[in-house]
Amino acid sequence: MSFEPIITTENQETISLIPAPAGVARITSDAVDMKLLNAFEELQADDGTDLIVELIDLYLADAPQRMLAIREAALATDWVLLKRAVHNLKGSSANLGVRHVAETCIKLEGIEFEPSPEGVGELLQQMDGEMSRAREALLSERQRRLQ
Amino acid sequence: MRVVIAEDDAVSRKILETLLCKWGHEVTTTQDGEAAWNVLQEPGAPSLAILDIMMPGIDGLELCRRVRLLPNPIPPYIILLTANHGVSEIVKGIEAGADDYLTKPYDRDELRVRVQVGARIVELQTSLAERVGQLEAALAHVKKLEGILPICSYCKKIRNDLDCWQHVETYVADHSQAEFSHGICPTCYENTVKPQLEFFQISQASALEPAK
Repeated sequence: MSFEPIITTENQETISLIPAPAGVARITSDAVDMKLLNAFEELQADDGTDLIVELIDLYLADAPQRMLAIREAALATDWVLLKRAVHNLKGSSANLGVRHVAETCIKLEGIEFEPSPEGVGELLQQMDGEMSRAREALLSERQRRLQ
Repeated sequence: MRVVIAEDDAVSRKILETLLCKWGHEVTTTQDGEAAWNVLQEPGAPSLAILDIMMPGIDGLELCRRVRLLPNPIPPYIILLTANHGVSEIVKGIEAGADDYLTKPYDRDELRVRVQVGARIVELQTSLAERVGQLEAALAHVKKLEGILPICSYCKKIRNDLDCWQHVETYVADHSQAEFSHGICPTCYENTVKPQLEFFQISQASALEPAK
C-alpha cells in the first residue's frame, strides 16, 4: 500500500520536526501537532518496528468507527451514546496530537442537548473536515517514515 | 511486575503498553472491563491494574468494586484513568476501591512514579503476607499445654489422653517445645543426695577397713 503525500502550503507548522529525507517534499499541516506525535520517538522499540506508524495505523483504523458511531447516535438522538463516542474520539485524537478533531470533540461534549441540541450538525460537519485533513497529514507522515 | 491495562481506546492502550514495557513491566492488555475482570480473577493475576473509567460493559468503577470483593490475600493496586477532572468522579473512584487515579491526558513521568508507588505497596503487601504465612506456620508447630491434668499425688506421673501414666518430663516434652536438662535442686541435694553420698562413703570406708 502506498500513500501520496499531501502538501498544504497554506498551513503554518511543519508536519515533522525530523528533517524529511532527501527527495521527499517538505509537507506542512496544522491538522496534527507533529511535535506531540514525534515525542513518541523516545519510546521506539529496538525491534525495527515504528511505534509512530503503528499508532497512526491504530488511529486511522479506529477513528472512522468512532465517527460513524457519533453520526448514528446523532441520527438516533441518543445523546448519551454520542457523548461516549465523542469522549473516546477526543482521547485518541488528543493522544496523537490531532488537535482540531480533539477541540471539536470538546465542543460537542460541552453542548447542552436538552431541550434542543443546537449546533450539533454544524460541529459534526466541521469534525468531518478536520478528520479528513488530519487523515491526510497522518498518512503523509506515515509514508515519510516508511521510506 | 505484572500489570493489566483495561482501555477501550486502541491508541491509548498501545501508548500505555509501550510505556509500561519500557519501564520493565510485564503487560497484559484488555480492551474492555469484562476482559480485564477475567484476567484479574485468574490465579497469579497481575498485581497492578490500570483501568480506564469509561468503558463499554463493565466500567472502571464497577471493575474496582468487583476486584475488591475477591478473596485475594494480596489485592491488586488499582490506578484509575479518568478524563473527567471533577472531584466527584475521583471520590467515586476511590470509594469504589481504587488506590490512585490519573487524569487524561496524563504526564508520562507522573504515570511512571505513580506506578512505582503501586509497585512499592504491592511489594510491601507481599512481604507482609509472607511474614504472616511464616508466623502461621510457626504457630501450627507450637503445642499447647492447657486444661486440667490428672497427676498422681505420690509419684507425680500425669495421665495422658490415652489413659496412660507418663512421667511429668515425658508428658511436658510431648506437649510443648520444652526440652529438659537434668540437675539437682539444693533441697533435694540436702535431703536426698547428701545423705546417700555420706552413706556411700561410710560403706566404702568400712569395706576398706582391715578385718580385726
